[in-house]
Amino acid sequence: MTKKKTVPYVLIIPLLIAFGIFMFYPLYKVIENSFYESSFLNPFKRQFVGFENYKWLFNFKLFNPKWSYFMSAFGRSLLWVGLSVTLKIIIGLGGSLLLNSKHLSGSKIYRILIVVPWAIPWAMGAMMWAWTLNGQFGIVNSFLLKLHIIKSPISFFSTPLTAFISTILVDVWAGLPFVLIMLLSGLQNIPEVLYEAATIDGAGDFTKFTKITLPTLKPVILTVSLLSLVWTFNSFDIIWILTRGGPLNSTETLPIAIYNVSFLMTRFGGIGKASAMTIAQVLLVTIVSIFYIKILGKGAEG
Amino acid sequence: MKKFLIVLMVLFFAISLLGAEKVLRVLMPIGGGYTIEDQEAIAKEFEKDNPGVKIEMEFVGWDELWNKIITSIGAGAAPDVMYIGSRWIPALAEMGAIIPLDDYVSPEKKALYYDTVWDTVTYKGKIWGIVRAMSTKVFIYNKKLFEENNVPIPKTWDELLEAARKIYNPSKGIYGIAMAGKKFVSTVTQFQQYLYANDGRIVDENGKVTINNNNAVEALNFYVKLSKYAQPGILEWKREDLIKLFETGKVGMYIDHVHNALKAIEKGIDVGFFMIPGGPSSTKPFSTVIVTDSIAISSQCKDKELAIKFMEYMTSFEKQAEWDLKLGFVPPMIKEKDLQEFQKWYWKPYIDAIKYGYPEAVNIKDWEGVQEVVLDAIHSVLLGVSDAQTALNQAAKVIEILQK
Repeated sequence: MTKKKTVPYVLIIPLLIAFGIFMFYPLYKVIENSFYESSFLNPFKRQFVGFENYKWLFNFKLFNPKWSYFMSAFGRSLLWVGLSVTLKIIIGLGGSLLLNSKHLSGSKIYRILIVVPWAIPWAMGAMMWAWTLNGQFGIVNSFLLKLHIIKSPISFFSTPLTAFISTILVDVWAGLPFVLIMLLSGLQNIPEVLYEAATIDGAGDFTKFTKITLPTLKPVILTVSLLSLVWTFNSFDIIWILTRGGPLNSTETLPIAIYNVSFLMTRFGGIGKASAMTIAQVLLVTIVSIFYIKILGKGAEG
Repeated sequence: MKKFLIVLMVLFFAISLLGAEKVLRVLMPIGGGYTIEDQEAIAKEFEKDNPGVKIEMEFVGWDELWNKIITSIGAGAAPDVMYIGSRWIPALAEMGAIIPLDDYVSPEKKALYYDTVWDTVTYKGKIWGIVRAMSTKVFIYNKKLFEENNVPIPKTWDELLEAARKIYNPSKGIYGIAMAGKKFVSTVTQFQQYLYANDGRIVDENGKVTINNNNAVEALNFYVKLSKYAQPGILEWKREDLIKLFETGKVGMYIDHVHNALKAIEKGIDVGFFMIPGGPSSTKPFSTVIVTDSIAISSQCKDKELAIKFMEYMTSFEKQAEWDLKLGFVPPMIKEKDLQEFQKWYWKPYIDAIKYGYPEAVNIKDWEGVQEVVLDAIHSVLLGVSDAQTALNQAAKVIEILQK
């Protein structure tokens, strides 16, 4: 009997070691660093400063007297992530319903096409979009001009508002396939009999959607949006390649700001402050996730 | 079991043999013309001439070079020899990450280079790197567009603006000038071209922050004025991509390297050159920003003699000339200009510009920080969020802290 119990533990050891080395140790280091004043410019001089780095998050206002550097990046992140994830879920849900429809022929081809953005490395996808949306050479502008929707080309990455929206759209493009495929597999698991029964009872399409599809799909939507939320919060490469956080700091989300603080603003920032920012972000994402599960998860469990 | 032991012993032996070699770890960039093959070829040749020496080259893209350097120093695993942008020298020197090379530079070696070249690698009176690549920049212009619009070659800023205005014809998709504005190091350099041309500096010879003086404000205002006749949305363009626009034949002029001008010539554009004219407050007729990359030696390097030897090898006259010709860089050594290739017409303006040049980052203690701040100033003025004086005052306020 005892043997039976030890074997699983033995088998899980390699995984635990890997987790320990690649996740818990770095995380521990980040937490530790967040209590020290240290910078790459002076790597061997570390000084314990307690919660100073966390205070810095709220009182570093050199660039903007109203909001601290961290708070403005945080606010921007919330908006950016909120919009991006919402769009992914809405479009993902619509798309998966379409793909699941019996009236659609050639759905297999569409499914393959939809996975393409997911298969392209994000950095490459972002490079592609940088030129696709370019004001001079971009194919998007060429289309819009030919359709007489716009009179002169738009340089999407050259004004704060258009850059903000464009980076969101590119992020949606990259993250959508995952959402779509997951939702589609969820849809395919809904037993056909439920719809047949509803039809007999005289339910319309909308009622079927709200009373059968959405409730049955809820656990999948919850999981997918949660994962998408965490990934989008951590999204770095797309913005970095497209705008580097510019123009001004209109697309400077938390991951970009953390990078800037650790590598570029080494004198004001440094590893300690960047670590404090990172911990703050981890806590925020965790809190948001817990709330999310609590609020949306209620119905799913019952 | 026996077999296993034998394999283990052989492995151990092989490893100890490797350890007997002298190993030199070298960090090199890739991208922007730098290929792995070209650089490894140099290492191979050096190994051949120096038996028992192994050059371990590590390659990093230009974008990540700074991070790679500072993180590896922090980890106590800095490469022995590293290729750096000379603008990082003050920060690396202050960190104690690189060693001064004054004792290793012979008077003969010193005499090989232009004085300005040494200025780019000097900090607090000491030499911290040997220059490996240099660039000056001049205006590249489209002769056809200039002739069609009866535009003479600009010799002042007024004429420059007038030239851009005359050529500018947006309904035909033709722009007077191509300009950069993306958050990127080269945008700062593009602005610096006008700043220096107006005798302005980010930080002056004495280390005083002068980015908000009249000369600088005038330069930034001029940058914005010129941008009215540039391609729309300059904030999404970095200088490295402007060549794609110029190659289409729809841009009057812009500031760039000679090797990009050659690309345009290959595409059939009738290209001419003129030096960047001095601004209204300037005392000099022309100007250019001198940018250099250099080779530095880490203070963590154990075999400094070997590192110096390798550095000497890479920067010998023959190797330097070979490198400049291959990559199309402006020669940092005086005698190089006598080589046949550098007699070609398109090299002249770039070599002539050297004597009007001023280094990119002299006295700037924290380039990466300064870069972000200057970019913010340029952006806020281009976007009309603030005027040049206010934006540069804010920049000066931050740079003063960075200079402490």
